[in-house]
Amino acid sequence: MKNIVFVSLIAVFSVLFSSTASAQCDSELYSNKALKALQPGFTFVKSYKIDGKNGVRKNIEYTCVFSKDTSYMIRMEGKDGGPNGIIAVLYDANRQELATSYVNNRFFPGWTYKCKATGIYYLNFTFKESQAYCGAAVLGFRR
Amino acid sequence: MFILALLLGCGNNNASTEEVSEQVTEETATTAQVSDDIISDILQAIPSPLEISFLIKEVGTKYNSTNLNSVDLLSHYNTSYQQALNLGTYATDLGYANLYGKNQDVLSFLNCVKKLADNLNIGQFFDYETIRQLASNSGNVDALLQLTQQNFEKINYHLREKKQENLSILILTGGWVEAIYLTSLVHQETKNKQLKEKIGEQKLVLDQILMVLEIYKTKPNFSTLIGDLKELQKVYSAVEMKTTIGKTRTVEKNGELIVETETQTVVNISDADVEKITSLVKSIRNKIVK
Repeated sequence: MKNIVFVSLIAVFSVLFSSTASAQCDSELYSNKALKALQPGFTFVKSYKIDGKNGVRKNIEYTCVFSKDTSYMIRMEGKDGGPNGIIAVLYDANRQELATSYVNNRFFPGWTYKCKATGIYYLNFTFKESQAYCGAAVLGFRR
Repeated sequence: MFILALLLGCGNNNASTEEVSEQVTEETATTAQVSDDIISDILQAIPSPLEISFLIKEVGTKYNSTNLNSVDLLSHYNTSYQQALNLGTYATDLGYANLYGKNQDVLSFLNCVKKLADNLNIGQFFDYETIRQLASNSGNVDALLQLTQQNFEKINYHLREKKQENLSILILTGGWVEAIYLTSLVHQETKNKQLKEKIGEQKLVLDQILMVLEIYKTKPNFSTLIGDLKELQKVYSAVEMKTTIGKTRTVEKNGELIVETETQTVVNISDADVEKITSLVKSIRNKIVK
């Protein structure tokens, strides 16, 4: 009887553990993929985790300081495949939208923002028609 | 506090002391979590010193190793405070040497970074062997820069996960001070307008660094560093950054979204203030690397 209980407990824990593990978002995997999509001439500076916690987090935002006379490129990769299901939007300090990766009902892998104003910016990631709610983005710069 | 009041006010009036204390603990934990998120966000926002190093190279100045921190000083750094600050200093020097393809110096700074990282128990995030191999073969500057940046990012993520943001901010501060120190030295020689503006723009970064440092002001040595940086902030208060809002347009070129803007910033900084900043930064940097 003891053995049956023991085996049952192991089975229950195995199922619980595997379901938790599969639900986790391995952002590093996707940031490495996104890095490969960064165009030549752009130098990698930061990566951003886009973990929607299985749909619980709808909105993930990071603050950035961008410098004038510098181009910034965002590249995204997600579990839904490429940039699908994730939208990257850039806002200025006054919350005016400057760039979006979702144009004409199409998910683009990112955008390049040619910055002429040094200041605080907000990099916002949201999900649209996503199944996985998981991905990563990388930021590169070029002077 | 509002949530706490609501919990206490609307809850069962006969709630036991234990139940109330559980509610208080929960509220405190939530507040601490929010605070950690804010710290992480500010740390993440601080730009990489690499952007400044690129500008220094772009201006056309020659590589000058005498401007960089001496590797002989490594043995002087015995406390975690000194080690974290100078890990940042050597990291900026490593990036600078990387950019100029000075492989021998890259290897020397790499050794310093590795030793300090090991002392701080974060050496496992630094892929020393791969970076060493890349540095030994010239022509891998992009790969070198990328891997170095990734390694420092891993270090910062780890420190944040372990609630050691105080070390993270010291690494970032050391790196930033070294970058602005190099910029001001090159500006002294060249009087380059872009470098002058870059020095002025650092007002924003300094504000962010101080915001996080202030959280740890009770930790050993932090108050001296904060005091020094606040002196610098006083000089920076005269620097003006004026932004003119203009139109923004997005164009698609070969499947790429390119966003161009007419919004511009003008940085107004007097020569006298640049001199004051140069002098103050030099003194702060010398205290860090001594």
